[in-house]
Amino acid sequence: MPNGSDRGISQWLTYAGLTLTGAAAALPFVWMMLSSFMTRGETLRRVFLPAAVQWGNYIEAWSEEDFGLYFENSLWIALLVVGGTLLFSLMAAYPLACMEFRGREPIFVVILATLMIPETVTMVPNFLTVSWLHQVSPFPWLNSWPALTIPFMASAFSIFLLRQFMRGIPGELFDAARIDGAGHLRFLFQIVLPLCRAPLLTVAMFTFIGSWNALGWPLLVTNTPAWRPIAVALQKFVSEAGPEVHLQMAGAVIATIPVLILYGLVQKEFTEGISMSGLKG
Amino acid sequence: MIRHRSDTLTAWALLSPALLVLGVFGIFPIGYAFYVSLHRWRIKKESVVGFGHYAKALGEPVWLLCLVAGLALLLLSRQLRSRATSAGTRATFLALLAVGGLVAVRGFIGMYETGDLRLFNAFKVTLFYAMGTIPCEVAGALVLAYLLFRILTVRGFFRILYFLPYITPMIATAVVFRTIFSPNPGSLANRFWSIFGSSNQRWLQESRTVPALLLQGMGIDVYPEWIDTVFPSLALLCVILYNIWVYIGYDTVILLAGLSAIPRHYFEAAAIDGASQWQQFRHVTLPLISPTLFFITLVAVIGTFKAFNHIYIMRTAGAQDSVDVASVLIFDQIYQYHTAGYASALALILFVAILMLTVVQNRLLGRRVFYGD
Amino acid sequence: MKKHKVVWICLLAGILSGCVGPEQAPQDVADLESINPAGQEIVFWYQHTRIREEALQEMIAEFNGTNPHKIQVRGEFAGGYGDIYNKMVVGLQGGSLPDLVVAYQNQSLEYHAADGIVDLGPYIKSSAWGLSEAEHTDYVQAFMQQDQIAGGVQIGLPPNRSIEVIYYNADWLQELGAEGPPESWQEFARLCRAARDQPFSGNENKERSLGFVLDEDASRLASMVFSRGGSFLNEQGSAYTLDTPEVRASLELMAELLADGSVEMMGEAYGDQTAFNVGECLFILRSTSGLPFVQEGVESGVGFEWDVAPPPHTTPGPVVNFYGASISIGRTTQERQLAAWLFLKWFTEPSQQARWVQASNYFPARRSTQELLTEYFQTNPRYQRAYALLDYGTPEPAVAGYDGVRRMISQAVVKVVQGGKIDPALQKLQREANATLEIY
Repeated sequence: MPNGSDRGISQWLTYAGLTLTGAAAALPFVWMMLSSFMTRGETLRRVFLPAAVQWGNYIEAWSEEDFGLYFENSLWIALLVVGGTLLFSLMAAYPLACMEFRGREPIFVVILATLMIPETVTMVPNFLTVSWLHQVSPFPWLNSWPALTIPFMASAFSIFLLRQFMRGIPGELFDAARIDGAGHLRFLFQIVLPLCRAPLLTVAMFTFIGSWNALGWPLLVTNTPAWRPIAVALQKFVSEAGPEVHLQMAGAVIATIPVLILYGLVQKEFTEGISMSGLKG
Repeated sequence: MIRHRSDTLTAWALLSPALLVLGVFGIFPIGYAFYVSLHRWRIKKESVVGFGHYAKALGEPVWLLCLVAGLALLLLSRQLRSRATSAGTRATFLALLAVGGLVAVRGFIGMYETGDLRLFNAFKVTLFYAMGTIPCEVAGALVLAYLLFRILTVRGFFRILYFLPYITPMIATAVVFRTIFSPNPGSLANRFWSIFGSSNQRWLQESRTVPALLLQGMGIDVYPEWIDTVFPSLALLCVILYNIWVYIGYDTVILLAGLSAIPRHYFEAAAIDGASQWQQFRHVTLPLISPTLFFITLVAVIGTFKAFNHIYIMRTAGAQDSVDVASVLIFDQIYQYHTAGYASALALILFVAILMLTVVQNRLLGRRVFYGD
Repeated sequence: MKKHKVVWICLLAGILSGCVGPEQAPQDVADLESINPAGQEIVFWYQHTRIREEALQEMIAEFNGTNPHKIQVRGEFAGGYGDIYNKMVVGLQGGSLPDLVVAYQNQSLEYHAADGIVDLGPYIKSSAWGLSEAEHTDYVQAFMQQDQIAGGVQIGLPPNRSIEVIYYNADWLQELGAEGPPESWQEFARLCRAARDQPFSGNENKERSLGFVLDEDASRLASMVFSRGGSFLNEQGSAYTLDTPEVRASLELMAELLADGSVEMMGEAYGDQTAFNVGECLFILRSTSGLPFVQEGVESGVGFEWDVAPPPHTTPGPVVNFYGASISIGRTTQERQLAAWLFLKWFTEPSQQARWVQASNYFPARRSTQELLTEYFQTNPRYQRAYALLDYGTPEPAVAGYDGVRRMISQAVVKVVQGGKIDPALQKLQREANATLEIY
């Protein structure tokens, strides 16, 4: 057992190191918050602290650019994308991790391949697809939620992550379930799903963040503000002569809040390991 | 591993929704990009050039064939190595190795001479970038995750703190980093650097390589040219730092999820057996987290080769082309030169490169992953 | 190996299913005079935000309410220039095209090459709908020419432009004993050095005192080169002229001043403005669209008298670099194109121009707007001073691929100005710039 004073010093050092690097980690965030409370003149002069807290920036940012609508749009879009991703990725990861079937390895590589092409090159063909779907489908795709959500409802990243976790589930569990008369589907949704809480929440969070920050694609598939997300609103604070930093930062802080809340909720679930109560030995 | 043969139908049924979406929005674009790359294509399709763009990018086809032949010979020699018992096979193995190596190198030199230098530069920069970010990011995240999981008591606060770089909007992080690393004498980086008595650096606007700067700092102004090309520039180093800073929290979160999925009794058992923290880490945590580590490494490799946003925003004219990774080159080809055909060819080349890397990684590392079975 | 096969098969499947959007049949230029634009609904894509967007939307509403043909315009924010380019690219391949779109020249060149926008020439010359001779010459000809390509095809109409001017700290100039802004580059250099040695009285950080902060942007070099009588492109537009005495002179002067500490390279975005605002820097070279920003910056900074002037020149009169986006008309239907033209014509009428420039801080493309701006000139004397320079403008090249060359120029500027060898840098620049012309 390490002796008490050793432990104390190393703990203290660890904390000191972490605090220092943590300060570096937080610096831009702090700057963002401080800038959001400055006047435009103060941002132009690059002062470090505002003379007075300009709460008005937030009110102005919210009301100026229809922020409320964009915020709501982003929430709906993110919810749909996260929901779809969780479901489809869970369903897809399970066979890749826990079942043996022909074509398992190649299909996994094909899925991964979708990650390997830069977005610059995929935007145009995806738009053509969505545009064609808009013409042939009974419900609209462009300027509406389908174009903004459906293309993102499956992600190789999520499938891969879940697959890694599922591979770690012991085979005995399935055998036990089978003895109880459960097939793959029941096993997946009743046993595997609860065990995958941590990765599922991780997937949910990263998918949410990705959807929340998207700018290029939404601008491409919408022409009206009706379904535009929050990233577009932030963009509108940038004009040719220069950005209105104080408002842009206020908008950015507002945009970051839901992500922070979500992360706070998610990381509570990262506990000290799960208890495999169904498994003996 | 669950072994039941009648599962093929169920498996494909479960895979189908994801495959449909990925097929339409992930695979079709690759095919489309390949189609575009066979043409002269600005905004609309113009004439067919076949593999002309590829030849322009990679050089005369004969040299590419040379390189492939050389690599094939090397692979062949590797196969022989395991059976190199008799003197005869040993000699053949060495011969194949030598010939394969020479042919491959000659092929590569030929490609470099006849291909697009910007593409080769881009791959070089991308390689530096990957080698600079991945190890630091993954190792750092592992240490951080372990600390935040097992060692500390004030965990929640620090967990959020280290995730902030990833969720803070890029507009904010980029401005702050550009200010820190600006060439102004008063910038944070320069003030920090002056503590060591060194002169002002241009940081993000410095296109000279780090060894070159060291040599010049020591007063040596004449040095072989390769020192300027075979190393990353200071600007690239700053960009690497920026990206490590952004993504380390991202990797940490994934590792934390991995750690929290480890059944508790493994840790408890190890502690009861009297294992130290280090032993617990090495023999319990590391193997059990290896699936997640494999995931992060693979995703990091794919991600760094494709990386764009956090690099593009740090680009300055002063850095010349020393931070132009492959995706930046592709972006320029589309938005500055409006040559979608050539850009698509470059994207496909990048795609094949990443694919090959992933397959190799899968073979090499995949076997060492412990799935707790 | 099996893995690879499957992957290639999937890719092939993707290729075979790869399709190109329907071809857009080129519209024949029918008899313009007889087309009826009544009741057309047209779409206008722009990148303006905030105050400019507000003003634009108000003007669109006014047009919609008052135009005799009951044409309805819908103005849409379509993102930044890059986003609009994306939308046009997909629009040209099977999506929908807007009727009016804001585009810089290098973009409209591409749109035109892809048959996406129409030649405005017939509309300008039309007897029923076009511009009269007087109206046509009322446009600053240099602006109009910037949107013209071979064969006199007019691919866009300029609604506004900005020019690059020298902003200077008038109080500091007086302290240095100068009577006015420098008119020659030697005087400019002398004043920069003087500023280095004698900080501004209002400067709180006496450690940092500069004559000029140089931005590596190609447009700044363009200003310096034009003011020496040079240009970036030869007259036929067939080759770049970047290795010329004028470019050398500009770069060598900057390198000299950088070496002796009177000039610094801009380290961060808007670094020059920040330095100017607090009196650390005597001159900056910037677009006139930044006038309100500098005003606010100085007022909240150290506060001093400042003004604008054309860059110093070796040419007989001043020469300024001007730039700006134009508006192009998408190739849709004859009726909608005509309706779009009518809006464009209305939008560039002097009374609308007066309203637009006051909200946007651009300069108008119609000379006679001046008469409507007398009050505005009184409250914005600096704007007036810059306005007088409109006739002395020269544009940067408007050829395909120029956008990429701009980056090459920036890189060369940084290299040379910080002590690199000028000969190899300029030769390389010229060679690589000309190489881009060959792609097209």
